[in-house]
Amino acid sequence: MTQIFFDIMAATAIVGGLGVVLVRNTVYAALFLILSLMGVAGFYVLLSVEFLALVQVLIYGGAVTVLLLFALMLTRTRDMFEGATDGPQKPIAAVVGLALLAAFITMIYKTQWPRDVNELTTVPFNDIGTALFNRWAVPFEIASGVLLVALVGAVVIAMQEEGEP
Amino acid sequence: MQGIAQDIPLEHFVVVSSILFSIGVYGVLARRNAVLILMSMELMLNAVSINMVAFAVYTAPSLFVGIIFAIFVITIAAAEVGLALAIVLRVFRNRGTANVDEVDTLRW
Amino acid sequence: MADAWVLPALPVAGFVLLLLFSPWLPRKGDWLAILLMGTSFGLVFPIANDVADSIGRGGFHGVEVSREWFNVQGYIEIRMGTFVDQITLVMLFVVTFVALLVMIYSTGYMHGERRYGWFYAIVSLFVASMLTLVLADNLLLLYFSWELVGLCSMLLIGYYNDKQSAAEAAKKAFVTTRVGDVGLLIGIIILFTQTHTFNIQEILRTAEEGGIRREWLTAAAVCMLSGAVGKSAQFPLHVWLPDAMEGPTPVSALIHAATMVVAGVYLVARMLPLFEVVRGMPELITALGLTTTMLAAFIGLAQRDIKRVVAYSTLNSLGLMFVALGSGAVGAAMLYLFTHAFFKALLFLACGSVIHATEEQEVDKLGGLWSKMPITAPMFIIGALAMAGLIPLSGYWAKDEILVGVRHGGLSDVVIITVLISLPITALYMIRVVLLTFFGPAKDAHVHEHAHESEPPMSWPLVLLGALAVVSGFVVFEGVGKALGFHSGWLGFIYNPAEGPETYRVNWGLAVSSVALVVAGLVAGLWVWGGEAEPSKRAGAFSPLVYRLFLNRFYVDEAYQLAIDYVVLAAGRVIAVFDRAIVNDTGVNGTGETTWFLGWIGKYQQTGRIPNYALAIVVGVVVIAAVAFGYRA
Repeated sequence: MTQIFFDIMAATAIVGGLGVVLVRNTVYAALFLILSLMGVAGFYVLLSVEFLALVQVLIYGGAVTVLLLFALMLTRTRDMFEGATDGPQKPIAAVVGLALLAAFITMIYKTQWPRDVNELTTVPFNDIGTALFNRWAVPFEIASGVLLVALVGAVVIAMQEEGEP
Repeated sequence: MQGIAQDIPLEHFVVVSSILFSIGVYGVLARRNAVLILMSMELMLNAVSINMVAFAVYTAPSLFVGIIFAIFVITIAAAEVGLALAIVLRVFRNRGTANVDEVDTLRW
Repeated sequence: MADAWVLPALPVAGFVLLLLFSPWLPRKGDWLAILLMGTSFGLVFPIANDVADSIGRGGFHGVEVSREWFNVQGYIEIRMGTFVDQITLVMLFVVTFVALLVMIYSTGYMHGERRYGWFYAIVSLFVASMLTLVLADNLLLLYFSWELVGLCSMLLIGYYNDKQSAAEAAKKAFVTTRVGDVGLLIGIIILFTQTHTFNIQEILRTAEEGGIRREWLTAAAVCMLSGAVGKSAQFPLHVWLPDAMEGPTPVSALIHAATMVVAGVYLVARMLPLFEVVRGMPELITALGLTTTMLAAFIGLAQRDIKRVVAYSTLNSLGLMFVALGSGAVGAAMLYLFTHAFFKALLFLACGSVIHATEEQEVDKLGGLWSKMPITAPMFIIGALAMAGLIPLSGYWAKDEILVGVRHGGLSDVVIITVLISLPITALYMIRVVLLTFFGPAKDAHVHEHAHESEPPMSWPLVLLGALAVVSGFVVFEGVGKALGFHSGWLGFIYNPAEGPETYRVNWGLAVSSVALVVAGLVAGLWVWGGEAEPSKRAGAFSPLVYRLFLNRFYVDEAYQLAIDYVVLAAGRVIAVFDRAIVNDTGVNGTGETTWFLGWIGKYQQTGRIPNYALAIVVGVVVIAAVAFGYRA
C-alpha cells in the first residue's frame, strides 16, 4: 500500500521535473513545476512530516510559482513561442546530467544502507516549533534577516526610476 | 504510517532525490530563458530537501535536523527566487531579452 | 732593508698628488715627481749598504719583511711584504735611476704637451708598481703590480690620444700581454693550490724539495713562463713591442727598454729554482730566447724608422737575457739587464733627441746629422757600439758573461753557435742605423737645415748614460766591486758562495771569437752603408725576397690577424648565434611570447555566456565527486 503511494508520488515528481525541463511553452513549464512540487509534498506526507508538506504547498505552490508566472509575464518577448527555449548546450547538458545521475546511482549502489531501522516515530509538531525557537533560534533570526534583505533588495533592483526604461 | 520503514528502504528516497537533482541540472544547463533556469534550480533544491528529510526521519528522528534544514531551504529558496526575478526583470528592461545566452557582452 | 717599502710609496704619493693637484701646481708639478723620484733613488744606497754588509758577513739569502693581510681561519694566510736580495737590489737601482733620468729628460722633450702633468703622474705610478713588483715577496702582490705595470704601459703608449695608431698600439700592447698575464695568473693559482701559500721563497723551497707533483709543477711553470713571455716580448708574444713605439720616446726609454720589459726576465730569474726543477724548461726558455733574438736581429736589419730599429734591438737583447737564464746563468742575465738599461735608455733618449730636433723618424729623411748634433751623435754611437758588444764598452762584458754562462750551461752546442752568429748581425744593423742617420748625405735638405742640438735637460742625461754605457761593464772586476763597497765583483755579488762562480775568469776562446765577430760585423756594415751611393738600395738588392721578409717582420702580425679573423671572430660569431637564438629568442623573448600565447588561448574560456559557466561548475563538481568517491571506494 505504502509502496504504491510512494510510486505515485515519485512518478508525479519526476514527470513534473521532466516537464519543467523539456516542454517548449514556458507557462506549461511553470505548471509542470507545480506538479513536481506537489509530488514532493506528497513525499513529506509519506515521511510523516506533515508540517513540511504544508509549508511546501503554501510557499512553493502559492508564492514561488505565482512569482515565477508573473516574471514570465513581464519578460515576454515577441518570439516567446517561436524561439527555442533550449540553448545550444542541450547535448552536453544531457550528457552531464546523465553522468551525474550515473555517479549518484553508483554511489547509492555501493553504500551499505542500515538494515535495522525498526519503527519510524512521528515527529511532534510542537517539538519542531520549540526547537526552532530554542536550538535553531539564531538561524531562524538570520533567515528572517535574509528575507527582509531579499525583499528590500528586490524592490530596489526592480524599481523604475524617473525616465528609466 | 508506522511501518513504512520496512516497506520502503531509505535508498529509494535517495534515488528519487538523485533523479530529480539530475533533471534539475539538465534544466539549468540546457534552458535559455532565465526564469526557466530558476525553475530548474527549484527542482534541485527540492531534491536536496527530500534527501535531508528522508535521512532525518529514517536515521535520527529525535534530532530532526533534516527537517529544520528543509524548512530553512524553503525559506531561502523563496527569498532567492524573489531576488533573482527582480534581477531578471531589470536585465529584461535593459537588454530587451530574458535569454541568458544573449547577455554576453562580458566576453572576449 | 726593513723599510724598503718606502721606495714605492714615494712615487705612489707622487701619482696621487699629481693626479689631484697638477693643474694648479707651478710647471704642472713635474718638479714634485722628480723630487720624490730622486728621494727614492737616494734611498737605494742605504739599502745597497745593508746588502753589502750582509753579504760580507756571509750566507746572505735575502731579507723578508711582511705583515699579515688576511687570514681565513688559519687555512689561508696571506701576507704582504718585501723581499730584498741581490737581484732586487739591482732592479731597484736600475728602475729608480733610469726613471729619474727619464723624468728630467722629459722636462725638455714633453715641454708644452697637452697632458704634461698627467704624464708625470702615470710615470710615477708606473715606477711605484715596478718597484712593488721587484720588492714583492709573494706572488699575489707581484701579480697586482704586474697588472698595474701593464696598465701604465698601455696608458702611456696611448699618450697621444688623438692618433689612431697610438690607440691601436696601446690596445695591442695590453691585449698581447694579457694573453701572457692569464697564463701567469693560472700558474700562480696552480702553485697556490699545491703549496697553500703565495710566498715566493716558500714556494721555491717546496719545489726544490720535490713537494709539488710533477704534472702540476710543469703546468705552473709553463703558465708562469707565458706571463714572462708576454711582458718581455719574447716570441710569439713579441708583436706589441715595436708598435709600442707610438708612445713618447721617454716612455719608450723607461718602460720598453730599461724596466717593464725586463719584468719578465726578473720573474724568470726569481723563480729560476722552480723552473730548473721542471724537465725541459731550461730548453724551452733558451729556445724562446734564441728565436726572439735572431728574429729581432733580422727584422731590425730592414726597418726604416730609427725608433723601430732600437725597439727590435731591445727584443734582441731580451732574447739574449732569456738565453742566459735558460742556461741558469743568472749573474750573466742580471749583468746584461744592468748594462742594457743604460745603453738602451741612452739609445732611446738619443733617438728622442733626434726626433725632437728634426721632427722626423724615418732614415729616408735623415742623414748627415753628425755635424748638426755634436752631443747626441757621439752618444748615440757609443750606445750603438755598446749594444753591438764592442770591447771595452759595457755591452761586451755582459755578452761575454752570457757566452761563458751558456758554455757552462750544458745545453746543446746549437745555442752557443746561434748566440755567436747573432753578434755580427747585431753589429750590422746598429752600424746601419748610425750611418744612415748621422752620416752620408742629408736626404732631406729642409730637415737637415732645421736640425739642432737639444737643450740641456735632454742632452746631459745622454752624456751621463753614455758614460755609464762605457764603464758599467767593469763591475765584473773584483777591484771595481771592492771600490764600490761590495766585497767582490759582480759575480761574487750575485751568487752566494757555492751557487756559482765567484770571480771573473776569462774564456779566451769565446772572448776572442766574440770580438772578432763583432768587428767583422761592423766592418761589413761600414762597407755596405758607408760611402756615397744609395746604401739601402744596395742592401735591398742582395735579395729582394729576403728583404721583404725582414721588412714585413716575418709576417707574424699578419698571421695573428688571420688567426683572429678566422678563428677568434668565427668562434665569436658562432657564440653570437647561440646567444641570439637561445638566450635571447628562446629564453627572454620566448618566455614573454609563451605567456602571451597562453593568455591568447585562455581568453576563449571567457565566453560571457551563463550556460557555459554553469556547465563548467557542474562538470567540476561531477569530476570532484567521482574522484572523491572513487578514492573512498
